[in-house]
Amino acid sequence: MFTAKKTVSRLVVACLALMPIVCADAAAADVYLRADVTTMTMHDGTQVTMWGFAKDSSFGAMDGTVTIPGPRIVVPPGDTVLNIHLDNNLTAAATGLSMGHPVSLVINGLTQKLTPVRHGAAPYPQYEGRIRSFNKEAAPGNASPVTFSWYDVEPGTYLYFSGTHPQFHVQMGLYGAVTKNFAAGQPYEGVFADREALVFYSEIDPLFHSMAASDNYGPGKAMSSTIDYAPKYFLVNGESGTTMNRVWTGAAGSVLIRFVNAGLMPKCPAMQEHYMEVVAEDGFAKNYPEARFSMVLEPLKTKDVIVTTAAPTEIDFYDRRGYVSIQATPSMGTVMLAQ
Amino acid sequence: MQPTRTGAILGFALALAFLLAVGPAHAIIEGISGTNFAFSARAGTTSFPDGSTMPTWSFCQTGGDFQYPGPTLKLTAGQTVTITLKNELPPQAGNVSMVFPGHKVTATGGVGPPGHLVREAANGGGTVTYTFTVPHPGTYCYYSGTNMDVQIDMGLVGAMIVYPSTPGQAYDSADSAYDREYLFLETEMDPVIHQAMACAQAVTVDTTAFFPVYWHLNGRSAPDTMAMANADWLPAQPYNCWPQMEPGERMLMRIINMGRDTHPFHHHGNNATIIARDGRLLQSPGGTGADLAESDFTQTVACGSTQDAIFTWTGEGLGWDIYGHAPTDPTEPNEYTPDHGKPFPVTLPQEQELVFGGLYSGSPFLGAPGYLPPGEGGMNPYGGFAYMWHSHNEKEMTTNDIFPGGMMTNCIIQPPGTLPAP
Repeated sequence: MFTAKKTVSRLVVACLALMPIVCADAAAADVYLRADVTTMTMHDGTQVTMWGFAKDSSFGAMDGTVTIPGPRIVVPPGDTVLNIHLDNNLTAAATGLSMGHPVSLVINGLTQKLTPVRHGAAPYPQYEGRIRSFNKEAAPGNASPVTFSWYDVEPGTYLYFSGTHPQFHVQMGLYGAVTKNFAAGQPYEGVFADREALVFYSEIDPLFHSMAASDNYGPGKAMSSTIDYAPKYFLVNGESGTTMNRVWTGAAGSVLIRFVNAGLMPKCPAMQEHYMEVVAEDGFAKNYPEARFSMVLEPLKTKDVIVTTAAPTEIDFYDRRGYVSIQATPSMGTVMLAQ
Repeated sequence: MQPTRTGAILGFALALAFLLAVGPAHAIIEGISGTNFAFSARAGTTSFPDGSTMPTWSFCQTGGDFQYPGPTLKLTAGQTVTITLKNELPPQAGNVSMVFPGHKVTATGGVGPPGHLVREAANGGGTVTYTFTVPHPGTYCYYSGTNMDVQIDMGLVGAMIVYPSTPGQAYDSADSAYDREYLFLETEMDPVIHQAMACAQAVTVDTTAFFPVYWHLNGRSAPDTMAMANADWLPAQPYNCWPQMEPGERMLMRIINMGRDTHPFHHHGNNATIIARDGRLLQSPGGTGADLAESDFTQTVACGSTQDAIFTWTGEGLGWDIYGHAPTDPTEPNEYTPDHGKPFPVTLPQEQELVFGGLYSGSPFLGAPGYLPPGEGGMNPYGGFAYMWHSHNEKEMTTNDIFPGGMMTNCIIQPPGTLPAP
């Protein structure tokens, strides 16, 4: 667990580390993410141990709340640099695993020179040399922030997630969205939307989480592979048990809906009365939007669509693949207000 | 195409030997037209080529036979359609509804508690009425909007086609013109869900464990796809899926994925040009035609989505005169003339070196059936060319683990003059 001594040392380091970053680039978005452990309650009352991200006010402040998905990172128009200062609290004490877990960050679609980390000789000599992280790691209980910087952040919708043991960490909940508008009311250059909403899909296989939390996942342990992945909870913006979802436009006009899939299974977001103008995919605006009432949203995929209505409207949608959380009863979940 | 390969490919069709050799279909897309429809959601039984019977729920015409999938609605752009749905499903099904993606629907009657997608017909004979206009031509679908994780797998799906005022076109664009049209409605079934629902064990079925082992086109598994429409031994599955065309014609493929999985539908023989998705022509803003159309040989359609493609075939690229002409012979209609008179490029093997199939005509030439040993062939009386069209997720070419079957059919290129005029 976090100690008072460590808190002090972290604060000092954070202050020292923060100053040059803030001064160096006024047009940079600086975000303090903390990887930590939390417990989620599913719609049926089941408690699931999750690993997720919280957004702190500074390194070591520990004042953010771990959410699934992680905090949405909004890069302001005009900013081209994103700095994420990572605090890893996936310590042995927090996770119940003997050595805790290192964490890294990757954002597909935003370029960064990755520095992969390979397994050392211990504790699994048979895996020495194999890559375990796509990018540099923040060690459990790191005393100073590990900063990940992207210098060419283009307008778009992106997914950030742990690049360490991704078959493990992504399932556990270490993911979130990054968005950037070209300008106010203009998600991409020449693409206009009055309001927007974010729809973030993910999944939970509760068996895997219980095995991970009880230190029964890993080489030679009761569960040594994720091959039998069998999700039972299907989350929309972290909410389980919904059978449909709704965006309330609040006014006439155009609404941009950013679809993100952090799950391991493809989704098919489908709408009833409305056509979606698919204006962007993977953070790239399309030359010619395509009108769809259903589309495939593969794992790691982001697609931005625009729905235009002549009056304030409820936009109902659902995963046409028909995957709903186990024993879900009809529920639209929390209505998303387009903003 | 090498003769031995021809033999090997067509040898596959040997397993289809119990198919009846039937003449070309006349009603190419079966369905019903009108503006007022009375539908009932009912329980019935479908049958598949492994000998299984499957408890199935489907939309049917009230008073009509049980059928799977639901009746194909053949409408005309601009019509206003009213569908009254009656819930005749067993108690374990609960309520039922219909959704028509892409259309603004007014629902009256029925029940509509919060959290439900649309107003529903209550279990026990309840009704609900849906009214909507179909302003745009295209290929659409309908399905249950209630407990979709169960009801879609159980069979509550159907096709809806909206024709433009111009006959022979799929859309209001001349480059959507076609000679023949065929429907490819893709579905799959997980028998665990069907058996649980038939036994009123809805509480215990885990639809997250969805594991289909049956795959269908228009409600049938191969080789039943290639039997005649309205075959009396398939009373609950009236629609076949046996595309046939003559060289030079334009075939419109209307593909609808009503399943929970995507299916890479692969059409041997040629690429097709995808001209529309979800009932909207693939055109740039202000475009005058399908100027964003794309060419593909495997079409994967999103769940709940539709796709239209134009398939053409002339024999171009085969490298021999498909009619076996001498150079001085006259050409056939729509013949690929650069290959006119080109000899077959290899010496045909002897019969004892070939494995035959039901669809092999006995020769590599169109409309020229050749010698076949007694008991071989017989399902290709016009001497057409057969191309297997199927889900290229090869597992889906099985019927409950029995190959061949599942989501598969054959497209037959028939010799000129053998099919009824389009």
